[in-house]
Amino acid sequence: MNDQKPLPALNEDTREFWEGCRHHQLKFQKCSECGLIRWPPSIICPTCHSLEQKWAPAEGRGKIFTFAVYHQPFHPAFKNDLPYVVAVIELEEGVHFLSNLVGCDHRLIRCGMPVRVVWEDRKEGFSIPKFTPVQ
Amino acid sequence: MTVARTGDEIVFGHFEAVGGYALAARRAMHEFRTGPETWSHIAAGQRKWANLNPNAVMCEQPLSMEGYFNTRFVVEPFRLCDCCLVNDGGRAIVVTSAERARDLKNPPVLITGLGQHNLPSEIHQSTSMAGPTGAKRAGEQALHMAGITLEDVDACEIYDCFTYTVEITLQDYGFFGPGEGRDWLQGGTVEPGGRMPVNTSGGQLSEAYFMGLTPLTEAVMQLMGRCGERQLGPNTNTKRAEIILCSDNGGILQSHSCMILRRNS
Repeated sequence: MNDQKPLPALNEDTREFWEGCRHHQLKFQKCSECGLIRWPPSIICPTCHSLEQKWAPAEGRGKIFTFAVYHQPFHPAFKNDLPYVVAVIELEEGVHFLSNLVGCDHRLIRCGMPVRVVWEDRKEGFSIPKFTPVQ
Repeated sequence: MTVARTGDEIVFGHFEAVGGYALAARRAMHEFRTGPETWSHIAAGQRKWANLNPNAVMCEQPLSMEGYFNTRFVVEPFRLCDCCLVNDGGRAIVVTSAERARDLKNPPVLITGLGQHNLPSEIHQSTSMAGPTGAKRAGEQALHMAGITLEDVDACEIYDCFTYTVEITLQDYGFFGPGEGRDWLQGGTVEPGGRMPVNTSGGQLSEAYFMGLTPLTEAVMQLMGRCGERQLGPNTNTKRAEIILCSDNGGILQSHSCMILRRNS
């Protein structure tokens, strides 16, 4: 295995999302019929089955729904990050987004903590949305 | 899946199974009274069964409560002893009609109840991450088909990819309410000599991992009376088992099967 961290594998569903990230903008699909904001992206609304949607910007604020602290690397590229935190963020817009929690002591993390997005720019041209506690 | 997937979770260093179940277990810790204190009873209890099982990977290795807390974290809140084993091996079961089984050399075991309930493939907003899992309705279906209640169950063989899986499955079947597991498990409830033996081979945590066949084969062997030192009954100071409840689940607490087996008597 190589030591490079995996990059997003863009497809027709996720391309718009990662293009937004490149400009430090979180965007999610919003159903034009029922207004549901959804993640992950899909061609059809899971609630009303409408095919009509547009990409709407999100504020990048939310709270921690749950989290897990990795103490063992399952890929060599993450070894130097240990311990690192994977969290599900409940965004203000309603979606649950899986990401990393950075910039805080993992022993102080609690479900329900308010967080905001921060950006990790990769030299390959991607920007990865991560989250940090709101001070 | 516990969290709807794009395939890009690996970008964040998230790997399914242990990571996914850890997210679910952490949410459960937020919603009701659970955590390592509860899970230590499951890990140590199952290890006592494994210590009676010569086929168990962990047969020769005792595990105390203190020993549980001394093992390293893998993905917190899970320690090494919260995770199932990784092993090679195989298990098989022969399924046939009760009529044909009468002529076989070994005593047959009857399937008397089945239930299955699978949560939506994408729990989009994951609000049910801490349960109830599919175990709730699958268990109700299986008990109904078997024409029994939980009171009639003598032992359980529960799919135990992680200690927490055992807790949430027993909880969703109705053995105790949310967060009451820690008290229910006190005093060796699930151990040899306990009033509700659980995972009597050591389970996937301490015997060996054969997916859903670890619990199922153990239930069949127990009801056939082929379990030697760990045999339910006088050998282990437990009641002789007539009815054993088995579970299996897949994904991250996403699909669930329940099967009720009965001694052919």
